[in-house]
Amino acid sequence: MLRIALGAVFAYAAYTKLFQFAGGRLHLLPWQLFAMAIDSYQLLPAWAVEALAKTLPWFELLLGILLIAGRWLVRPAATAVSALLVVFLTLIVRAYLKGQEISCGCFGPGEAISWKTLLRDGSMLAASLFVTAMAWISRRRSPQPMTASLPTNTLPPEPAGPVGD
Amino acid sequence: MNMKVMLLALCGLFPCLAAGPAVDTGKVLGRPNAPIVLEVYSDFECPACKMFHEEMLPRLIREYVQTGRLAVISHEFPLNIPAHKYSREAANYATAAARLQIYQPVADVLFKNQTSWEQTGKVWETVATVLSPEQQKKVQALMKDPSVAAEVQQDIDAGARERVNSTPSLFITRPQHMALPWPMRYELLQSLLNGLK
Repeated sequence: MLRIALGAVFAYAAYTKLFQFAGGRLHLLPWQLFAMAIDSYQLLPAWAVEALAKTLPWFELLLGILLIAGRWLVRPAATAVSALLVVFLTLIVRAYLKGQEISCGCFGPGEAISWKTLLRDGSMLAASLFVTAMAWISRRRSPQPMTASLPTNTLPPEPAGPVGD
Repeated sequence: MNMKVMLLALCGLFPCLAAGPAVDTGKVLGRPNAPIVLEVYSDFECPACKMFHEEMLPRLIREYVQTGRLAVISHEFPLNIPAHKYSREAANYATAAARLQIYQPVADVLFKNQTSWEQTGKVWETVATVLSPEQQKKVQALMKDPSVAAEVQQDIDAGARERVNSTPSLFITRPQHMALPWPMRYELLQSLLNGLK
């Protein structure tokens, strides 16, 4: 359930950066909007801001879908989500401690960074780390598949139950 | 023949008259039917608003408003914080001036002298420097009109509906509604405006 919830949150975050539902239609938002949010952290050159703005939301959407589906590439997706959240939280904490009055950019523009943002994203990171750990642990614990490695002179097993009178 | 020449001259003038001024001095800069509309919620005591007004807005006017592509609508959003104790008064004066179509000169002088009047509280003395004696009387009379303060409150209420909680807050409202993050580099705003149809 936690995996699905985390996937849904990531997919929603991607949706708010990519689309807008207005007038009964789904509109694709200009990449420049998310680029402005990235740029406000004042960390990357212009070309990197543009590249990230054009690709990161789609990557987030893919990760969200993979986590929700839970059938393919769950472990890499969970690991990638955790890594992204580590980076996001680091940047948000940095901006908060520097007193930068900027938009988080997490779920579209308009959300100023505050202690609530830190709490929310910190919780998401904790959940993500748990999901990632569980995904890798469950991989280690899954039984090894049977292989045809028995010696050829091994007797077949005794039949179960009484043989008969 | 003279009548024909005069008629032809008048016909030549019609396009100029129909186009109208690309920049006016009310709270709306540019043609109201421009394909892109940018709405700005601003506080006269806000340093970032001063930067927007003095650095970005002139470029927007030159590159987009005067070419008819963009209309910029100013809204008052005086922040209700102790550090901005005169911003409401400044917003009221600017709104009164807008009724006389002299909003931009008043906004210009308020932002230009922001660090001075926000310390001294001499908002009127600052505003008066760009008004003629007749305009000063009219603005003072309008300041007693409750509809001026009500108009500022309407702007604040509109901003609250847009979830404005800091200034400047910028929104593209045509061709589609988009909240713009702040701060932003002008080049990104340029890229956004160039891509909008």
